[in-house]
Amino acid sequence: MSTTDASSTPLLEVSDLVVHFQKGGGFFSRKGKTTIHAVCGVNFTVNEGETLGLVGESGCGKTTTGRAILQLEKATSGSVKLNGLELTTLDREEMKHIRRNLQVVFQDPFGSLDPKMTVGRSIAEPLEIHKEWDKATGNDRVGEVLNLVGLNPKFAARFPNELSGGQRQRIGIARALIMEPKMLILDEPVSALDVSVQAGVVNLLADLQDRLGISYLFVAHDLSVVRHVSDRVAVMYLGKIVEIGDKVEIYSAPQHPYTQALLSAAPLADPIKERRRKHIILTGDVPSAAAPPSGCRFRTRCWKAQDICASEEPALKIQNGGHQVACHFPEAVEVL
Amino acid sequence: MPEPIIEVNDLRVDFPSEDGTVHAIRGVHFDLFPHEVFGIVGESGSGKSVTSLALIGLLAKSATATGSIKLNGEELLGKSEKELTPYRGKTIAMIFQDPMTSLNPVYTIGWQITEAIQAHQSVSKEDAKKEAVRLLEAAGISQAENRMESYPHEFSGGMRQRAVIAIAMANSPQVILADEPTTALDVTVQAQVLDTLKVALRETQASLVLITHDLGVIAGLADRVAVMYAGRIVETGTVEDLFYRTAMPYTHGLLGSIPSVDDTGQERLRQIPGAPPTMVGDVQGCPFAPRCPLRQATCFEVEPELVKVTNSESSAFHTSACHFANDVTLMPAASMFTDTSSADESEKTI
Repeated sequence: MSTTDASSTPLLEVSDLVVHFQKGGGFFSRKGKTTIHAVCGVNFTVNEGETLGLVGESGCGKTTTGRAILQLEKATSGSVKLNGLELTTLDREEMKHIRRNLQVVFQDPFGSLDPKMTVGRSIAEPLEIHKEWDKATGNDRVGEVLNLVGLNPKFAARFPNELSGGQRQRIGIARALIMEPKMLILDEPVSALDVSVQAGVVNLLADLQDRLGISYLFVAHDLSVVRHVSDRVAVMYLGKIVEIGDKVEIYSAPQHPYTQALLSAAPLADPIKERRRKHIILTGDVPSAAAPPSGCRFRTRCWKAQDICASEEPALKIQNGGHQVACHFPEAVEVL
Repeated sequence: MPEPIIEVNDLRVDFPSEDGTVHAIRGVHFDLFPHEVFGIVGESGSGKSVTSLALIGLLAKSATATGSIKLNGEELLGKSEKELTPYRGKTIAMIFQDPMTSLNPVYTIGWQITEAIQAHQSVSKEDAKKEAVRLLEAAGISQAENRMESYPHEFSGGMRQRAVIAIAMANSPQVILADEPTTALDVTVQAQVLDTLKVALRETQASLVLITHDLGVIAGLADRVAVMYAGRIVETGTVEDLFYRTAMPYTHGLLGSIPSVDDTGQERLRQIPGAPPTMVGDVQGCPFAPRCPLRQATCFEVEPELVKVTNSESSAFHTSACHFANDVTLMPAASMFTDTSSADESEKTI
């Protein structure tokens, strides 16, 4: 899968990751506890300097996967390795040291910035936590990252409420960058922004990767943004990766019916093309993650489903074309 | 040309605020013709939602609206709540971003559709119920008969929005007003709901005013489009005019800033520098001038009027509020917003 030679280990390696949540069962609950199968055996790697896009719709488990990598959610089973080091067994203190290399940018930077702290202090906070704050050079370091994200160092004196959405997101990125991490988990980093502002942040992320060689796990629902920023793409449905591979292959020759439906539903901002193409309209809703269907999880909405799809779960394996698909009847179809 | 159903002339809406009067809409004109889909696009604060609220008289009490909104020749602006009631849901139906704005959580879906039918038509309860089941089916809800007894919380987001569309269809309105109807939905659910909306248009023969920030949704559904910026329409025309013969730099900027799902190149996105103006106080000159790559001295002095674009391929509807509209139609999109560095200069210098 990876483009690096066999001797080098991937920067991030996620194997058989499972995250289950317990829900209900409280004092007033008439039903017992139910188990939400949020992430059900996810495997992927991210190489150095690479962007892996993780796409899917609400409830598919993409955000939980990101949080489990960051150890913000406890993995029920499976492994997450950063630079070959297993993260799931580390204690809080050990994990704190790892976090300098594994940072996160959330969707809503307003929620993650303290409204009573100046932007400069928010950016410097990770330095304080890691006991690297130095009075003499600290402010210069803050100024440098502000420059890096395209903002005037004078922004350090401002408060979050004085900033626009795009500026806040740049601050969120600056804060993640100050520890010079190797890996950034970006969870819907541009979906709250207006399109013209979104373009600036997307360009910024591309520039930073070119200059600093950071790896990104780009978690998003917007298929066009994911195509723009990613090298490889993984498509999730109900806790599972259904298709993963090089982005050109995923977008131009998707083989899993769900990927095809997802891509065909994404509207093209071109009237002639958009009206000419065929749209796959799925029927019904995504089944509950508390009781996922047997076999292939997409079979209840799939137009190709056969008996085998209910009895046997299709494994994610390499198909013609070179990328991995979890379907009993994979077939490349152009949908864009 | 047929008579327009809705004629909006010089619509202006002001809101008081602590910082002074906010001019949310500063002179909007458009006509809505029978059986057409008229899209209104713009970013946050451009005035697109305020325009739609003004159309059905749902502006906040503190707002002052002037100008004229005519429905079938009759003036709506200035009518009281009571005088507007016969139109709402009957002549003009509404669909909002959040279906729970329209649905009442304590009544069943069936009750709510039946009520909508009986509010404007004198039919028996039995017939209204039958009609409600038929509408739910038409809106793509399976087992409609059973679903009549469900409450909104038992529906998924997509199903709720379809139920709202069923209610919108109930009285065969002339106009459906949809404000970001699919923005909160996942993309495959959006496809389902847009499909349902098309069914509703076919069935009712209504015109649709579609307010959205999503140019892809516009590309797929709209006949004509208006682009709003800083409380005004800055470009309008057929979808082809707008996407293929763009005559306003802001529209160019919007189209260039969205990555396309079929774009194979690794081209950088074109970003519009700066931010939209706050709408407090008076605007001098073109409100887009500070962010515009083509600005001249005159742009800061005179606000351009919306005038006809004379490009030979443009339709009769194509208008633009730019002093250099005809030049813009001839410019390749890529040459307009050249991205000099990752740093957003205007943000750097603030």
